[in-house]
Amino acid sequence: MNTARKPVYLDHAATTPVDARVAASMADVLRSETEYGNPASTSHDYGDVAAALVESARTQVAAAVGASAAEVIWTSGATEANNLAIFGASQYYRDRGRHIVTVRTEHKAVLDPCRELERRGWEVSYLVPDKEGLIDPEQVAAALRPDTVLVSLMHVNNEIGVVQNIAAVAAICARHGGAWLHVDAAQSVGKCPIDFAGLGVDLMSLSAHKVYGPKGVGALLVAHRGDFSGRGRVQLAALQFGGGQERSLRAGTLATHQIVGMGLAFELASTISSMETARVAQLQQRLWRGLAALGGVLRNGSATRSVPHVLNVSFEGVEGESLLAAIRPYVAVSTGSACTSALAEPSYVLRALGRSERLSESSLRFGLGRTTTEGDIDTAVAVLTREVGRLRQVAGATPVA
Amino acid sequence: MNYNELTRRYFESAANVGELTGAGVFRGAAGSQTLGTWVQFDLQINAGAVSAARFLAFGCPHTIAVSAWLAEQAVGHAVKPQLPEGVQGLRDRFAVPVEKMGRLLIIEDAWLAAAAAAAAALEYGENTHISRLTK
Repeated sequence: MNTARKPVYLDHAATTPVDARVAASMADVLRSETEYGNPASTSHDYGDVAAALVESARTQVAAAVGASAAEVIWTSGATEANNLAIFGASQYYRDRGRHIVTVRTEHKAVLDPCRELERRGWEVSYLVPDKEGLIDPEQVAAALRPDTVLVSLMHVNNEIGVVQNIAAVAAICARHGGAWLHVDAAQSVGKCPIDFAGLGVDLMSLSAHKVYGPKGVGALLVAHRGDFSGRGRVQLAALQFGGGQERSLRAGTLATHQIVGMGLAFELASTISSMETARVAQLQQRLWRGLAALGGVLRNGSATRSVPHVLNVSFEGVEGESLLAAIRPYVAVSTGSACTSALAEPSYVLRALGRSERLSESSLRFGLGRTTTEGDIDTAVAVLTREVGRLRQVAGATPVA
Repeated sequence: MNYNELTRRYFESAANVGELTGAGVFRGAAGSQTLGTWVQFDLQINAGAVSAARFLAFGCPHTIAVSAWLAEQAVGHAVKPQLPEGVQGLRDRFAVPVEKMGRLLIIEDAWLAAAAAAAAALEYGENTHISRLTK
């Protein structure tokens, strides 16, 4: 990449730049002559100092999402947290039932573990969202069976930004009594309020790098509360062994500097003002107005029940790979197709919403964030206007001037 | 997806886009936009040689670049029922992944349809043949 003229970065839903304050806090730990101890080493001060940093970060993360510090289990990221939640719960409750409920539009980090469980003999019900990407909580109620042990539902969808009604689903799971609720909230922190305790969620996956923190660290929240249904607290079987860290749920030496970074990133995210959210919403509207003026541009996902940080649109009359290639030097966004080989696969999320294969492939996800400016939006609109117009001309959709 | 320099150049510039009309114009098209790749060539023939060529393409950068290159190369050459360069040669020249060979065959079909129309017209004395296939 030519750093002298970098493309405008509009892919904050994929990852975010590390906040300078977060990077500084991590560097401090790495450079320190007293903070490099193993947090599990209780026999000397070096270990105690590192453990104190870890516990402080645990408190920061918990406070940002309405949880208690004891409910935070450090992981390497949201993918590991999702795996621990899904495999851990299904393994622990395997004698009670082997049925899981999830949604077709979940992240691969949820769908792939579910598919693996199917290979091992579990049954998985995949709910189909409406054309805006939303699940009616009653769909969950209808899918629950006596042998259901887990419902896994993401809070904010990573591709289209829609926000699911987690509280209603949590209430349904609590009434069922045997189905624990896992929520992938990797995209939620800093974009919309999260109240882990208030929502009544049992397990919640978190990621640092979506929130201007470092890659390689995340957490699984494991609810400590019991509820009034008498089902007690959710339990998990460990997936890795070798040291007993994190209440024996996730063995392995804790990465103090990563954890310190995540703690500060979450603390900073929790202080994001409503003014900042409104600013991002205005930028999203500016982007949508500019793109819609092209004509033949379709918005994917609910316009009202979504975070303003994500805008997903499909462009009629252009081919997806060419669209991405044309704008790539100027704008960094995600495409609606997964390039697992030379041939792109259309987004399964958009296909689940009923979009055609062509429109799924010709979609772009714009991820707006703290660093996004009006100038970035205007650049993106100008580039898209030029390149979509050119590709439509090449395809014969519009006459050559 | 990475593209070689030739592919990037012809994809980005994509000269000779459009359609031709009038006497001596022969059109061929193949593929389907619904299925992801569609290509159309218009060849203007004068005295048995291509005097102008235009193309339209809905497809990946390789599809657009190869089509643009063929339209450019054709001018001044006798119309023949074959590509100016074979599919394998095009694949090598544009570094087209093997998974995309089908797209080169669609380009070849479109080209041959136009060339065949021109050859037939020359044989029977017609001077225009435009058969636009479904996009």
